[in-house]
Amino acid sequence: MTDVHTDPAGQAGPPVPARDRAGTEAEPVLEAGIGERDAADAPVARPPAGHFGVVAWARWAWRQLTSMRVALVLLFLLALGSVPGSLLPQEGIDPAAVQEYYTAHKTLAPILDRLGLFNVFAAPWFAAIYLLLFISLAGCVLPRAYRLARSARAVPPRAPRNLARLPNSVRFQTGLSADQAAALAATFLSRRHFRLNRGEGWLSAEKGYRREVGNLLFHVALIALLVSIGLGGLFGYKADRLLVEGNSFADTVTDVDAFHPGHFVSANDLAPFTVTLNRFDSSYIESGQDRGQPSVFDAHITYTAQPGGTPRQYSLQVNHPLNVDSTKLYLIGHGYAPVFKVTDGQGKVVYDQATPFLPADQATYLSEGVVKAPDAQPDQLGFAGVFLPTAVDLNGQLESAFPAALEPAVSMIAYRGNLGLNSGVAQSVYQLDTTGMTRVATSDEVLTPGQSMKLPNGEGTLTFAGYKQWVSLQVTYDPGQVPALISGIVALAGLLLSFLVRRRRIFVRTYADQAGHTTVDVAGLARSDVGGGFEGEFAELSRDLREHITASRKETE
Amino acid sequence: MVNTGLSAVSDHVLMVAVVTYSLAMLAYAGDFAYGRRARAAAPASQPVSELAGVGARGTAEDGTAADAPAGSGDTGDGDVVSPGGLEKGRQRPGPLLRTAIGLTFLGAAIHVSGVITRAIAVDRVPWGDMYEFVVTLTCVAMLFFIAVMLKFRAWHLGLFVTGAVMVALGLAQTIIYTPAGPLVPALKSYWLAIHVAAMTLSTGIFFVAAVLGVIYLFAERYERQVAAGRQPGDHGIFRRLPGAEALDRLAYRTVVFGFPIWTFGIIAGAIWADQAWGRYWGWDPVETWAFITWVVYACFLHARATAGWRGKRAAYIQILGFSCLLFNVLVVQTFVTGLHSYAGLS
Ligand code: HEM
Repeated sequence: MTDVHTDPAGQAGPPVPARDRAGTEAEPVLEAGIGERDAADAPVARPPAGHFGVVAWARWAWRQLTSMRVALVLLFLLALGSVPGSLLPQEGIDPAAVQEYYTAHKTLAPILDRLGLFNVFAAPWFAAIYLLLFISLAGCVLPRAYRLARSARAVPPRAPRNLARLPNSVRFQTGLSADQAAALAATFLSRRHFRLNRGEGWLSAEKGYRREVGNLLFHVALIALLVSIGLGGLFGYKADRLLVEGNSFADTVTDVDAFHPGHFVSANDLAPFTVTLNRFDSSYIESGQDRGQPSVFDAHITYTAQPGGTPRQYSLQVNHPLNVDSTKLYLIGHGYAPVFKVTDGQGKVVYDQATPFLPADQATYLSEGVVKAPDAQPDQLGFAGVFLPTAVDLNGQLESAFPAALEPAVSMIAYRGNLGLNSGVAQSVYQLDTTGMTRVATSDEVLTPGQSMKLPNGEGTLTFAGYKQWVSLQVTYDPGQVPALISGIVALAGLLLSFLVRRRRIFVRTYADQAGHTTVDVAGLARSDVGGGFEGEFAELSRDLREHITASRKETE
Repeated sequence: MVNTGLSAVSDHVLMVAVVTYSLAMLAYAGDFAYGRRARAAAPASQPVSELAGVGARGTAEDGTAADAPAGSGDTGDGDVVSPGGLEKGRQRPGPLLRTAIGLTFLGAAIHVSGVITRAIAVDRVPWGDMYEFVVTLTCVAMLFFIAVMLKFRAWHLGLFVTGAVMVALGLAQTIIYTPAGPLVPALKSYWLAIHVAAMTLSTGIFFVAAVLGVIYLFAERYERQVAAGRQPGDHGIFRRLPGAEALDRLAYRTVVFGFPIWTFGIIAGAIWADQAWGRYWGWDPVETWAFITWVVYACFLHARATAGWRGKRAAYIQILGFSCLLFNVLVVQTFVTGLHSYAGLS
């Protein structure tokens, strides 16, 4: 056997008689495999020439779209299109960062915005890329699935006349009759899971149909994944709620801070549970190089799944969400809520509650917030300031030295005047609009729990009574999640199947001569061998086949 | 709790590993310069076919082999040379090469013990921060390379692999070194073990594939020059390396090995993100780059199956895929703010 290797052009090999060459070409041996060369991959680069109508153009466009080359380009575009989404701030992830970018790049930002680059993953052009890709995918996969289904029972084509012309072949002789040798080869190959087709003096065998199954499974699962994600977006919802220790909330549209429903979600679709935050435990590493790094966050909650249901306890942690009838509750963030009491100029208590402050520094949990007392007389009162979990004085600069509340303190500035709550413009509860107010006092020292600051002229008092903690919770319902997970697993399984299974064809021909010898020709064809390695495999297989035939001859002797 | 004494031991052990790898690299380079001309007999003008002949030799040894003229044939995708044909069972390596191989094994053993001592010191999986991630992935790359070479015996490639691993490990110890520490609550999950393990493993494998891809590009250029009849200087190095086609195949098979693991890693990451952040996919920068990397490797796999894209273009795509991966680890996880507070560098 000679080992001649790839020469796709068919130029380098020794000359073959023309008749013989034509003969083999007529046989369907070397036709493209189902998976390897797509019909759509045939050169169709030129649009139909001469007279052509809409139909011809449409067919041409469709063939282009479903060709491997276009799939490749679309895949590239998908990767490229994702890049700005990761490097520029995104509306869907961090709207505040987008605002900052606007202030920092006054001319560039509007241009980027018009291109949709601040919301890439919801931009029409990004959708166009992946929709085209998935149309291409469907157009590629469905015909292949059809062909695969048709070939489910198909037998391999008859063996070519001249096996030695195939790139991998061996020839050996045996004393068995041609029929005996062929029968032995058939048992050998079917024992190795080959599908057989037999005829007079020849045998063809094929295995590895599951490779194409795996490949199709993978691509179909990708479509299913996209559909699952879409369904989740249409039928799911997401809600946020900030909850202070001791408080409760119900999962209703009015009781959450922010509600992001899918297109087909109405207020009635929310899971009717209620949650009370009993206590939030947080602890941090107190010494060593990792001082200040969080070690435990644990929200002790009581929840009822239905109105009137039995209250249950749960310890809600990062990585440990609560699942109530497939609606999930997550612990997303936490912070401090100093408790303030405000007495107005007339000695009336006009404010007395825990006030969530937002962390301004994740490392020290220095937090900022405001107090608004619209009912204060004679003027409305407002306070803005910081909460310091572990207050320290660094050369006159107030700082927090540690994220846990070891030395809690606040420092506040007081304002008097009009809070502007009736102006018609919605106000954030975390910001004070001081345009209609005058600054009346600043606490010269930090206030520790129990301490008060008095406003001048008896206009009122602010008392820092203590602090509580708050957690931010997220409620998520995503019906696409389980289908998406299943699609992912199927895709992976399909991928493994298509990588592990190899598609091979083996042909055997037996000829008897006058001397009573039989010549056996064995040839092999790798129908999926992108990674190479078929020669070794064929060498092994043909050696085993030969041994099988010759060994049984010894037995019969 | 963290055992600082033991983590210091790990740091030192890893330093020794770097030194051992650099010695191995020197020995490989020495073998290129002074070693026996392993394939001196091979006419330099036919490096591909010379290698290609090896794969099917088993068949040729059948005494009664047919002498029929072998014609052309398309195997369905035109690929015939197998990486199995890489110098399999060829001549015994010379003393310098043997030294180099020995040092490679020794370096890998030291590297493994460095990873294990770090894991014991921090009492968890050794991929809780970026430093540990790089140390472990380079270890995976080395072990993977050794495993592949035990089969294919193209040990000369060790020059490049030990070199790349040495540089990566050395940078890990200087630039991104992170002292042993406990995990933040967000990372306390068995999904850390699963997701980051898959990412580390596949990154180690892609690392080897990328090195092979780069060598392929050089070998391919060399062979083109030879085929064009030009003598491209004294590039004896290429005569000892597997031919371009074989390198291409080996790189492809390596990617095929790594790709499902990367896919699994992304799925596991999505499950974990769902547990920790309340959504399984949110286009966080690190997620986005894991996705981009995945898509680029999918491009590579498609390119290999598309006429006109095999060979050089496919190799560029593969290297681009690894560049995306590196960019994610070194730039996105470090400088771009997102939820993945993983680097431990701040
Ligand atoms: C969502 C986009 C796509 C992704 C992520 C993707 C991914 C992949 C991957 C990873 C493989 C290698 C697995 C294997 O060999 O079985 C593959 C193979 C393949 N894909 Fe896709 N694909 C996509 C779209 C398409 C489209 C649109 C087509 C049709 C033109 C297509 C046709 C093929 C074919 C024919 C193979 C087999 C190649 C071979 O024999 O090695 N794919 N694809």
